[in-house]
Amino acid sequence: MRSPFRPDVPPDAAVLDDHKPLIRSLDRRGLIRGGLSLGALVMLTGCDVKRPEAVESALLAISRFNDGVQALLFDPNKLAPTYAASMILRPPKFNAYYDVMDVKPVNGVTWRLEVSGLVADKRAWTLSDLQALPQTSMVIKHICVEGWSYIGGWTGVPLRLFLERVGADLRAKYVAFRTADNYPSSIDMASALHPQTLLALKYGGDTLADPFGYPLRLRTAVKLGYKNPKWVTAIEVTNKYPGGYWESLGFPWFAGI
Amino acid sequence: MASLRLLVVCGMLAVAVAVAAHAQSATPGGMPPPPGMSLAESAAMRFPQPVRVGDLLGREVLRPVESQDILGRVRRVVRDRNGQIMVVIDFGGFLGFGSRPIAVPVDAMVLLGQDMEIVAFTPKQLQQFPTFSPSGTTDVPDDTVIKVGLAKPSH
Repeated sequence: MRSPFRPDVPPDAAVLDDHKPLIRSLDRRGLIRGGLSLGALVMLTGCDVKRPEAVESALLAISRFNDGVQALLFDPNKLAPTYAASMILRPPKFNAYYDVMDVKPVNGVTWRLEVSGLVADKRAWTLSDLQALPQTSMVIKHICVEGWSYIGGWTGVPLRLFLERVGADLRAKYVAFRTADNYPSSIDMASALHPQTLLALKYGGDTLADPFGYPLRLRTAVKLGYKNPKWVTAIEVTNKYPGGYWESLGFPWFAGI
Repeated sequence: MASLRLLVVCGMLAVAVAVAAHAQSATPGGMPPPPGMSLAESAAMRFPQPVRVGDLLGREVLRPVESQDILGRVRRVVRDRNGQIMVVIDFGGFLGFGSRPIAVPVDAMVLLGQDMEIVAFTPKQLQQFPTFSPSGTTDVPDDTVIKVGLAKPSH
């Protein structure tokens, strides 16, 4: 009998072949130790467990491998589901690595968006510069790694259009973001060029409110919530792995949906 | 054997930590307000956002702790005799039975995505709230837009 859990479209087996050397490079003993420690960690939740370096490096190697597989499986033309405007949650759900009372509103008049790295035009952008660019709207689901989600309506400049305007090297690997709340983040170029990746300026037709990233935040339908930095102040196009806030604490970098 | 004992101790510790977290839940993120600060002043620090009253009806009301216990559901939004906006919640009960309506000041509550939370009162305090009586209050129409503060998820 066919397993009910089997996906309709199984992943391409070639993916495994492409990564054979990496799989082999994962030390077998390290893997076993990793498995044991995971089990132990689950049982010992709440206690301070000193993890051997080997376990951590094995787990990180597996996480990097997963990132690679996700990047290979990513279809730049496949669109995430969209929803009716009537389903937009107003206001959206607040989330950050700190509570809402610690949000520091950004002054949209003095705010500038800096552009650096592999781009032809490094001129900084004002809010009105960005508002003058063609805008796109999308109603998409925000999916958090914690398990919650909500449907939101976002309007802004497609990141692809912005990258083209500044003459970015679209063959570069990464697009990195810095923010006013010190929450660095970065995504792969394929996701940056996806039609559902926006530099969002509005929510539900209104200017973004302070707790949700005014004046500008990233909203992409192809990544988990933590890959959507708010209060963006700088964009860099680069080939050097930029990492991110949660990524440096062990979260997967690719985090595709 | 020693490791088994360690496991048991760790398990007990974990339970103790969980209990402590529940005991501290009366003051999540500065709530209830510190002495000398009103509910309204405290709520103003939570970036109150416009929300349609009709969109609040039926929402689940949670406790701002990791287990996110459901305290009840929003049944109506009213103005009391003093003009203060109160959220009437079907509070308590079990499996939908035995709940009773209580009126909680909107400034004691926050929006959490599709849900609401009561951040300024503990369940014990809410149990002491009188059962809501509509006399002297007026319903706030569904299309009215009021402002409600925010909180980050408790988990």
